[in-house]
Amino acid sequence: MSGSAVAVAVSASGLTHRYGQRATGVERLEFSFEGPGVVAVTGVNGSGKSTLLRIIAGLLRASTGDVQLRVDGRDVSRAQRRTRVGLATPELAFYEEFTGAENLEFSAETRGLKAPRDAAAKALSRVGLAARGKDLVAAYSSGMKQRLRLAFALLHEPPLLLLDEPGSHLDDEGRATVREVVRANGERGLVLLATNDPQEVQLAERSLELVARGLGDPA
Amino acid sequence: MPNGASSSWPAVWAILRKECRSEWRTRYGLNAALLFAVTSLTAVTFAAGPLPDRTDILAALLWVTLLFAALSSMSHAFVRETEGRTMTLLRLVASPTQIALGKLLFNILFLGVVLAVTVPLFLLLTAAPPVRWGPFALVLVLGSLALAASSTLVGAVIAQSRSRGALFAGISLPLLLPVLAAGVSGTRAQWDGLPVGPDARLLGAYAVALFGASLLLYDHLWED
Repeated sequence: MSGSAVAVAVSASGLTHRYGQRATGVERLEFSFEGPGVVAVTGVNGSGKSTLLRIIAGLLRASTGDVQLRVDGRDVSRAQRRTRVGLATPELAFYEEFTGAENLEFSAETRGLKAPRDAAAKALSRVGLAARGKDLVAAYSSGMKQRLRLAFALLHEPPLLLLDEPGSHLDDEGRATVREVVRANGERGLVLLATNDPQEVQLAERSLELVARGLGDPA
Repeated sequence: MPNGASSSWPAVWAILRKECRSEWRTRYGLNAALLFAVTSLTAVTFAAGPLPDRTDILAALLWVTLLFAALSSMSHAFVRETEGRTMTLLRLVASPTQIALGKLLFNILFLGVVLAVTVPLFLLLTAAPPVRWGPFALVLVLGSLALAASSTLVGAVIAQSRSRGALFAGISLPLLLPVLAAGVSGTRAQWDGLPVGPDARLLGAYAVALFGASLLLYDHLWED
């Protein structure tokens, strides 16, 4: 990981999100976290961990309340969040007709990075996928796709890294890579780690537990 | 200028190149469009024979062929992203306006290829009367721009909907009818020796209006 620590802070006040009439754990949520560091976001299935990360990343608009992101003392608008946030989530899919490297190069070009090929190669290398970068994504296993998601999130070296169940589908080596990425990014910026894996939770020094509702609870 | 549209050309260019590369590798849309154009033209001319003196039917046949050949692929540009679950990736690297502009440019390019194949084939198979190339090209180009703008907008709107089929028909009909009507009228006029200016102006204005409305809309799409 290159570069020095970046001052990053994320906070929310009165944050609520509803899918239609159904409430999630993202209900009147209040929090404030400053980097550097790692925060574990925990909660039962359906409690809204993924929803919260999507709202922070700017993919979802909260029903009420909002998220504030500050980087180096400046507010980052919702529209600009994609430039300062890296998100790896199970719902992230890649173009199967492209290679892993091509997917990352396209993402780097679209993000406006100066050396897309180098950025893609570096990200692939960080997640242990350099040797398979020229394979089509269609030929990737679940674990390789998970590593590619991690590489995608790291591509632009974001000050805020959002990882949703990052260890899923990964072997021991892959999980070690996740730990290394979380540690390095936690030193440089802020990492929000949505997980229920006890080993991953241990990587965090702070936690945010979503407790409102789980599977089967009525709205 | 909407969010992301001011300094977004590198992103738009990257998305256009991605679309071209994806189409080149999968031939998803081009094969379907060309198959439709060739089979429908062949079937109609086989059944009805040459139609050199029926400029009304010729103009309608040309535009119906272009419309459906184009729609078989263009409006699905966004749906493919949703169904392939790659929309999240796109939204994480580009603004909605950048995405839509990239896809609009690809759709224009795509229509250019469809035109390059379909129009010569049409003129050959139907034994159409000689065209006045200037007015003919003007109507085709402006009509194609309007067609690309409307199908891109429809594709973007229906992409996240669960009722895509019903929405597609409901939104497409009012948006595409003016293009089809002006395209047919202008094409017929150039064969009949009449001025194509009114139809060309209508197509041009319609394309500009749709493009402008789209720029205002795109940044508000896809918010769950």
